[in-house]
Amino acid sequence: MNPDEVEFLGEKQFITIIPTFNSNTIHLITGDVGPFRASLPIRVPLWMAINLKQQQKCKIQQPDWMEIEALETIKENEKLSRTFTKMPSEHYMIEAKLLLGFASDDIPRADEIRTIIKDIWDIRMSKIRSSVDVLVKNAGSYAALDHLTIMEINTIRPILPHALDQIYRIKASPR
Amino acid sequence: MPLPTAYSPNYYSLDDILATQERTPCKFLINVPKMGNLNPSTIEKDLPAGTALELPMWLVLEMSTGRQPIVLPELPKIYKEAYREILEADACAVDLHKFNLYFYELGSYAKRFDRKGDVHQTLLHTFRTRFRQLMDLADNSISDPSVQQRLDTLERRLFKDGYNARTKLNAWLVESGATIEAANMVINHKKRKRLNMEDLMK
Repeated sequence: MNPDEVEFLGEKQFITIIPTFNSNTIHLITGDVGPFRASLPIRVPLWMAINLKQQQKCKIQQPDWMEIEALETIKENEKLSRTFTKMPSEHYMIEAKLLLGFASDDIPRADEIRTIIKDIWDIRMSKIRSSVDVLVKNAGSYAALDHLTIMEINTIRPILPHALDQIYRIKASPR
Repeated sequence: MPLPTAYSPNYYSLDDILATQERTPCKFLINVPKMGNLNPSTIEKDLPAGTALELPMWLVLEMSTGRQPIVLPELPKIYKEAYREILEADACAVDLHKFNLYFYELGSYAKRFDRKGDVHQTLLHTFRTRFRQLMDLADNSISDPSVQQRLDTLERRLFKDGYNARTKLNAWLVESGATIEAANMVINHKKRKRLNMEDLMK
């Protein structure tokens, strides 16, 4: 899958914004959003939040997990754990990238958050890589991928599934 | 993402055709009349039993099976004991491209001639050992482009797919100016410690 497609999936995540305008309920295929009342917080899909933000019609509220302290804890847990820990959001990387990219003025200490998230990502990446290596070397035929987000799973595609298929081919060809 | 074309070879698979071109030594078990011109070292009309020749894999495969085999096949030299030992010792250091362009494809056929199943084990072992290298290569191919030259066709295809996916991901990570990146200090000092997962997973 293309990273952009994964991003598209992640944009369905809900997020709290504070609108600066009034509007009736908006009817969308996936559900209704609104009504919007200026300065009353409301949950909207991420893509809509970004869109409104670009038109400067809202302030985005930082998700709870996107605080320095919370992220530090996650990072420490991730470092200590030998398996993957549960991430606060199914699409943490996408949310972080979009929010920090388009709404960095709404998020205090955005630069530090950026660095910590990158650290978490790197730790998890190196875990993925070493566990994939262990899986292939020890001739494992299955693996549990608890708490991996789609974007992370996507980083070992297509190389891992294709490699496993090729191993299967070698195994299955007649002797 | 499209699957590799030689995924499961069919009659029209170019890779399969090219792979089965490889010369395979074999010995004739019976007299074959009128086929003397297969053997360039003689002018006789018939091929006597006991003649040793090198024929393409696709031909040997057909002639060595069936109720009455015409030839007794031998392993191509890259799958013989001496070469297998090299691969067992350190598969990563080997230039597979020089061994054979289609090392795994051809090996899947050649292993039929090996009753003990050693070739089968070698193929699996080689692929598994070299996979880590392949994965690292796909992630940072800039570091050493010459390593790329040492992959066989199947590995090269995996590398290409992996490399393309990685390039897209990197592009996604830096686009829109919202770069999520490690602190400059970490990059400058190369201070990031590598997690030693091999120890943890044991």
